[in-house]
Order: sequence, then C-alpha cells, then structure tokens
Amino acid sequence: MINLSQTVKEGAAVVAEIERRSGQRITACLQCGRCTSTCVAAFAFDYPPHRLMHLLQIGLVEEVLRSETAQLCLDCMTCSMRCPMKIDVAGVIETAKAIADEAGLRDTEPNLRLFRRGFLNNVCRHGRLHETTLLLWFNFRTGKLTNDLSLAPLLLRKKKVRIFPPRIKNMRQVRRLFQQVNRGAGPPG
Amino acid sequence: MLGVFVCQCGTNIAATVSTDRVVQAAKSMLGVVHAESIQYTCSDPGQRAIIDAIQQKGLTRVVMAGCSPRMHETTFRRAIGRAGMNPFMLEMVNIREQCSWIHSDIDEATEKAIDLVRKGVARVRRQKPLQAGSSPVTRRALVIGGGVAGIQAALDIADAGIPVTLVEKSSTIGGNMARLDKTFPSLDCSSCILTPRMVEVKQHENIKLMVNSEVEKVRGYIGNFEIDIRKKASCVIEENCTGCLICQEKCPSKAPDDFNVCAGESKAISIPFSQAVPLVASLRKEYCRLFIKGKCSVCQKVCPAGAIDYEQEDIVVTEKFGAVVVATGFGLYDWKQSYPTYGMGMYPDVINALKYERLLSASGPTGGRIERPSDGKEPRDIVFISCIGSRDESVGRPQCCSIGCMYMAKQAILTKEHIPDSQSYIFYIDVRAAGKGYDEFTRRAQTDFGAIYIRGRVGKIYPRGGKLVVMGTDTLAGDQVEIEADLVVLATGLTPAEGAGQLARRLNISTDGQGFMAEGHPKLKPVETNTGGVFLAGACQGPKDIPASVAQAGAAAAKVIGLLSQEELETSPMVAEVNQLKCAGCFKCRDVCPYGAVEAQDARDGQVAHVIASLCQGCGLCNVACPPGVISLKGYTDNQLIAEVVEVLR
Repeated sequence: MINLSQTVKEGAAVVAEIERRSGQRITACLQCGRCTSTCVAAFAFDYPPHRLMHLLQIGLVEEVLRSETAQLCLDCMTCSMRCPMKIDVAGVIETAKAIADEAGLRDTEPNLRLFRRGFLNNVCRHGRLHETTLLLWFNFRTGKLTNDLSLAPLLLRKKKVRIFPPRIKNMRQVRRLFQQVNRGAGPPG
Repeated sequence: MLGVFVCQCGTNIAATVSTDRVVQAAKSMLGVVHAESIQYTCSDPGQRAIIDAIQQKGLTRVVMAGCSPRMHETTFRRAIGRAGMNPFMLEMVNIREQCSWIHSDIDEATEKAIDLVRKGVARVRRQKPLQAGSSPVTRRALVIGGGVAGIQAALDIADAGIPVTLVEKSSTIGGNMARLDKTFPSLDCSSCILTPRMVEVKQHENIKLMVNSEVEKVRGYIGNFEIDIRKKASCVIEENCTGCLICQEKCPSKAPDDFNVCAGESKAISIPFSQAVPLVASLRKEYCRLFIKGKCSVCQKVCPAGAIDYEQEDIVVTEKFGAVVVATGFGLYDWKQSYPTYGMGMYPDVINALKYERLLSASGPTGGRIERPSDGKEPRDIVFISCIGSRDESVGRPQCCSIGCMYMAKQAILTKEHIPDSQSYIFYIDVRAAGKGYDEFTRRAQTDFGAIYIRGRVGKIYPRGGKLVVMGTDTLAGDQVEIEADLVVLATGLTPAEGAGQLARRLNISTDGQGFMAEGHPKLKPVETNTGGVFLAGACQGPKDIPASVAQAGAAAAKVIGLLSQEELETSPMVAEVNQLKCAGCFKCRDVCPYGAVEAQDARDGQVAHVIASLCQGCGLCNVACPPGVISLKGYTDNQLIAEVVEVLR
C-alpha cells in the first residue's frame, strides 16, 4: 500500500532536486516504456527505467535512491536517445545516483564502486579502455584471480581483447579532461 | 417486353452466384426478351449497356438483379428514364446483401438468385407506369433545444434568410455550455464566447425564440411538418418582465438551484443566471408557497413591471415547418445508484464534475472560490476519478464519454490556478485526448500544473477524520494506493437529455442502445435521420465536445437550407389508392393511417375513403387494414405481391 498523499509531499523536495540538477521534467514522462524496451541492462535492474521514472512521479524517492538500477545503469544513453518526450532518462538516473552517493546511500555493492574506479583509472592511463589490464587488476583487487579467465583464449582469438594496451594520438588531452573533471566534481568513481 | 440485367458487382456477386446461369434461367421466364450479365451495372459503361439494350430491343419493363434498392434504385430509375422508359417500370432484385454475401455454396446461392429474379419478373410484369408527384415546401425550420448546437443551427439557418423557431424546454437558452467555467483546450471563458451568440439569437429577425416550451405532437412529413408546441405557463408575462430580479430577492420559497447543479440555492421564482436569454423570470409552481399553501403573492406585489400573472395557462401553438433540427443535448449519468462503494451520495464532498465546474466559475454560487460542500473549506488534495458510468460493462455503459479526459485535465489546471498549493490526483484508465491540441493540453496539466496521473480505477471511498480516503491502485507502480482527499470529483458519462426518447418517438426517429438519437448512416449521413427532413446536431446524437457539436450543427443547418431552398419536393408515386366503387366506408384505413392522409368523401350512398396523395407516405398500413381489400398501394398491389409469393413457392 502506497499512501500517495504522503509520498507525493515527502518526495517533492528530492524530485525537484533531481529535476533541477538533471534539467529534465519527470512529469513529462508518458510511461510509454520505450526506455525499458531499449535498455540493455534492464535484466539486471530491480526497477526498469520507466518504472523508476514513475516512482519519481509519485514521490517514492527512497526506492529510487536505494535502487540497484541507479547503481547498475551503464550510462549507455540509449534510453535518452529513444525517449519520445526527449527526456534524458539516463541523466535522471545519473542524478539519482549522484544524490544517493552524497547521501551515502550506495554501500550495498562495494565491488561495483571498485570496478567503476578501476574503469576510469584504466581509461585515464591508456586514453581508452584496455580490458585485459582492467580485468587483471579487478581480479587481483577482489582476490578472485581466476574469475572469467576461461574466456580469455576465445576473446583473444576473436580479437575482442588485446594483450598490449592501445595507443592513442593525444594522451595529453585525455589527461587534461580527467584533471578538469576531478577538479569540478571530486575523484572519479 | 421485359429485360433482365444481372450485375456481377465485381466478385461481390459473381464469386458466389453464377451470373451466367441466372441469365440463362431468366431468358426462359415469361415475357423476358433480353437477359445479360454485366460486371458493374452501376458504372458508366454498365448503365450505357442497359440503355442500349432498352433502345435496341424496345424494352418496357426492367429487372435489375444486383444490390439492394436502398443502394442503387434511384441510379437505375434515372438510367431507364434516360432511355425513354417510365422510371417506375423497374424492379430491383437483391442478390447481393440477401444472397451472395450470406451464402457460400455456389449452386444453392445461384438457385436462390434465380428464384428471386423469377419473383421480380412476376412483379414487374404487373407493374403500371407511375408518375412522381410533387408537394410544396414550407420554408420555415424548427430547432429543438437551445444549447450551443441548437443556437448554432438556428443562427446558420436564419442567416440564410429562412425563418426559424427555436424551442427550448427550460427558461433560458445556453444549455450545458452556459454552466461551464472555461473550455478546453484553449481555456476560453465559456460564457464569454457563448453569451454573444445567445444575444444574437434573441435579436435575429428570422428567429422566433420559444422558451419553457416543448414539442408535443408531430404530423406531416419532409417539407410539410405540422407541429404542436406547448408553451408552459411560467406565471410571468414575458413582454413585461425587465429582469430586475426583485421578485427573486423577495421570494420566500426556496427551491433547488438546477442551473448550479444544486451547488447553491435558488428561489421558486428566479432567473437561472445573469446572462440568461431571454432575461425573464419564471416561476416553478411546485416550490411556490402560493401554489402549495394558497397564500403569498409577494412577487406580484413587488414586481414594478406588473409582469406576474398567476392565472397564466399553457398555450399550444401549431405551426408548419419544412424541416426539423433536433439538438436536445445531453444529461449526466446518475452515478449514485450504481457505485455503492463511492458512498451513493452520502458523502457531500464526492461530487460530479459539472457541479465542480460551478464551484470553479466566477459566476457560480461561491463566486469562483472553491469551497467543498460539507464545510465550505478550501480543499487541498483533490482526487478526480474518470469513467464513472463510462467504459463500465457492469453498469451497462460500455461506451467512452469522449470528453471526460479533457475536462478532468481542464479542471485540474483550473484548480491549480485557483489554489496554487493544491494537489490534484487523476485516476484514469486511458488518457483519450484525440483532438487538435488535446493531447498537448493533458500533458500540460501534468508538466506545468503538477497534476498526478494514476492509472487505475478507484475501489472505495470512505471518510476518515474529516477527509475522504480514496483507495485505488496504481497499475504502473503495481501496487495499491490510497489518498487522503478533501474533495472527490467524478467524471460522469453523458446520457441523452431527459425526455429525448419521448421526443424521438414523436418525431418517428430511432435511438441507439443508450438512447441517443440514431443518425442515418454512421459514416455518410451523420446529421440525417431515417425520417426525411429531421436532422441531428450536437450531443443528442452521441457524446461530443463543443467544437464537434458546433460543426455538426453547421452541417445540419446546411442540410436544412439545401432542403428548404427547393420550391417543391418530388414525392413518391407509390401511394395508396381507393377503389371507391367498392369502398364500404368503414374508415379502418383512416384509423390506422399515421400521416392523416385518408379523408372521407361524399359518394352517392354515404361516405367513402379518399387518399390525399401528397400526405400519403406509402407505408401500406391501410392496405392491410381494409376488410374488403379495396385500398391498395400503387406499385405494390395485392396482385403483384401475391404473384411474387407464388413464384417463390413454385
């Protein structure tokens, strides 16, 4: 049972905060479900994207901030691209994620945080993602050294991963990008 | 010299009926000198083939085996008329709707088609040439109902120079639109756009306005209706009343305020609203102290214009009209009996949307301040529930009210404008906003005015601590929800106006399952009815919004103007005829005739019946009623009908 007169009032401040920071109008969502239809990660979410939007519409902010969705969203932006109302759904989820972070609500999945940090450090070092070093580093840090190792021969044969890190032309620019972001919004991850 | 033409109608007929075999069989029928099968008889080459055959073979009678007479009888009458034949020497044999479309076995269908053709041949062999008559047209129109549709129709017809009588049941025109605060999706002030049109009706030289009046009896037919209109006594002399309202102020008898949907209180003598047209008071005897207790006469004493006349009686006016527009509008579904879980009217703060409209309106009983009926407090949480008595099979009302989604969005917007810190919740099943700018409007209610849309029906409403708990479900969240509301507004569906069924029977037009007046054809005759000369405008034909009502009224007016611009109308020659030599003068025919077309005529030994051809509609009732069988319908004589039956049974 959801008491709407309570949730709408109590959630109003956080919803307004999400709307302000993301620049999106939650109320514009039609609940057509196209975001969920295109989402590549929804199978792993507790609430699919359209449901997350509706929960915000009726003020259930606690559920949204504590949701796995806010943590697991890949930020691939497909939902935002497809939304018929031009809502940046990924931006809304991203904002919810940030607000949850600030409120210290996201400690349910420590490995997720570790992976995200490793991912960004990896990109920062090589200019683009080098999966091999990222996975080795992640396995080393989590202590599960053989995790996913059996996939390595196949991935190498099909050239999905490379042994040596890639080279990009302008490393300095990437570094500068990371420095700017770090200065603005704290450390990555 | 009889010709038979068998239409293939592409594959419509030819796929199930072997038209060649029908032609072969027809050739051997008595009197048939020509038979052929044509792919599309109604097409230009098809009609030319028929005309050629008539002229080359000297045909004098024609059987058309094809679609129904309703579809194409006129087409073929014209065609054979062009070939020089009498157009009535034609028999349409329906081998499509009543044969090929409903059968699947080719042999059986073909056999049936042959039987039907044989029947047609038998009838047309006994047909005599007929001449179409004509009747004069009364150049005057009647519009029944003074809502926005009736007003529009009356103005459009009157502007074309045709005199119009506008009959309105209540004491003022304006109808339901006059009760609305704003209109969707433009949020135009309803009375600001309607009032000028009402005044125009009053001032138009071609419009005669009759309020407090109802159509009582209808005689006649297209072009020549004779209609009795009862003008009910209002105890006020219309010409004298100045609309000063002193009588209403001084009247001691309270009465329900129908105009404000009982949101306020009125008096026994009153003018419903300040822009009423005509601005004339009227007295409701059932609430008046003088008529109940026999003592009062306050209004008569205070009236400075001497306009009160307690002795006034109903007047019945009989007038002739050439055409009628029905624009009786709609009523609201009475939800109280069918939705027991919503309190059956026990909770004063559960109201219908029209009453809420009056609370929103600046000219309403609260002067535009939203006060909830129970304690007069301004509500904060307002719940709207859609589809009350709509899309609900359990109460026998499956149809969509077509305006609820829009007026709920409008009222949610207006609520936010009236009370900025209010919160509206709208329970919906679907948001149906199919109109120009409509969907954008419902979106705006959500994005700009913060209305929260909850998809689901409400199960129960019950009071708790001065509030109403609305128990519903949010199917998008997948959970039960409850809201503590200050006010609940129900979007009730539309019904035909009170008395619409009775009027339909008087006008001899049909109604649909819900009692709305039936149009002539759902696609191609949306403003006509099955009775010639009677047209429909507005919500009497089905739920619709203001623009659609106005558009339909304009269309009905165009039809009326077209009809009444003719000097005279061609009448069917298929009318009854009395063999006066054999008539016994029992006048059973006169008793059954619905059109008053039979009169008595003096003969040598007493009186005999005579049919006034211009009144007869060829229904055949007299033919059946006549004991000696001496009254018959031209073109459908007993002789012809019996021959048909004999051929079918052969």
